[in-house]
Amino acid sequence: MKIELQKFGTTLLSRQTGREAYSAFLPTLNALSENEIIEVDFNGVITFSPSWGDEFLSKLLEKYGDKLVLMKSNNPSVLATIEILEQVNNMKFKIV
Amino acid sequence: MEKDLLTISETAELLGVSVDTLRRWDEKGQFKAFRSEGGHRYYSKEQIANYSKDLFKLAEDWVLNKTEIPTTNYCADSATFQARVAKMGSELSLVSDDKIKKNFSLIVAMAGEIGNNSFDHNLGNWRDVPGIFFGFDINKKYVVLADRGQGIFKTLKRVRPELNDDSSALIVAFTEIVSGRAPEERGNGLKFVRNIIIKNKMKLYFKTGEAELEISDESPLAIKKTITPVKGCIALIGF
Repeated sequence: MKIELQKFGTTLLSRQTGREAYSAFLPTLNALSENEIIEVDFNGVITFSPSWGDEFLSKLLEKYGDKLVLMKSNNPSVLATIEILEQVNNMKFKIV
Repeated sequence: MEKDLLTISETAELLGVSVDTLRRWDEKGQFKAFRSEGGHRYYSKEQIANYSKDLFKLAEDWVLNKTEIPTTNYCADSATFQARVAKMGSELSLVSDDKIKKNFSLIVAMAGEIGNNSFDHNLGNWRDVPGIFFGFDINKKYVVLADRGQGIFKTLKRVRPELNDDSSALIVAFTEIVSGRAPEERGNGLKFVRNIIIKNKMKLYFKTGEAELEISDESPLAIKKTITPVKGCIALIGF
């Protein structure tokens, strides 16, 4: 399953909107089959922040662990956010 | 009347404040008007430009003295702030300066974290005026954010009771990673800001309570006691 983050907006900043995005996406996630991976695509996202990321990516990481894969991005705010979320969660994201 | 002078109602519209506010500012000497022979107030274009551009002073006056601020700088709620910070991103992405063009997403993300911190930690607990001051100046290359909230020490002490002053709260807020989600969702946004400032040769000034802090690539965390304490927070990101 691929999650295109730009469908949630191009400036993803606040905890509140991150929480809303996660809640809205939960029903779709529940349809995930047993061995299916989740790919997160940052394409089209202009600004990404730890608050939004913590509400969305950290929760996915906690719930799906190795099945969560982040697609490579060159956006500086995405890279800086992934770095701090890895420290906060004390876990590495799988990036392809 | 010379063309360079604007009437009080024209000035009020430009600055996003009421005519009564301008009269009060004039009486208090905060923003003086020229008087015509008939006693009418006029303002020069240069004076208006300078006033609206000294964002740090506007923000500091608001935090210290609750002076009125232009509506364009006041974000009463988080949704207003999200929209304005995204708009700043659009404007920054169009400038010709290579460093800004490369870093604009980081500047927006930092402003977002600082502003959202104000909302997240003061919701329902604002001292008087809810919301934040937010302004930026592309030519002077800075962003200013401020709130009339509880300040870092008071909000952080709720989850770190061992903290004993503003300086120790600033150190924790800007350096210690709070791992895991329980027992609270205290963000790690200020650590994120500090990392970016140091790595990208930007500057941050942050004041809360009796402490002020400066971060740059040469000075990773300089904290000292301030001479003008503020309740709440005020931040300036230089990019």
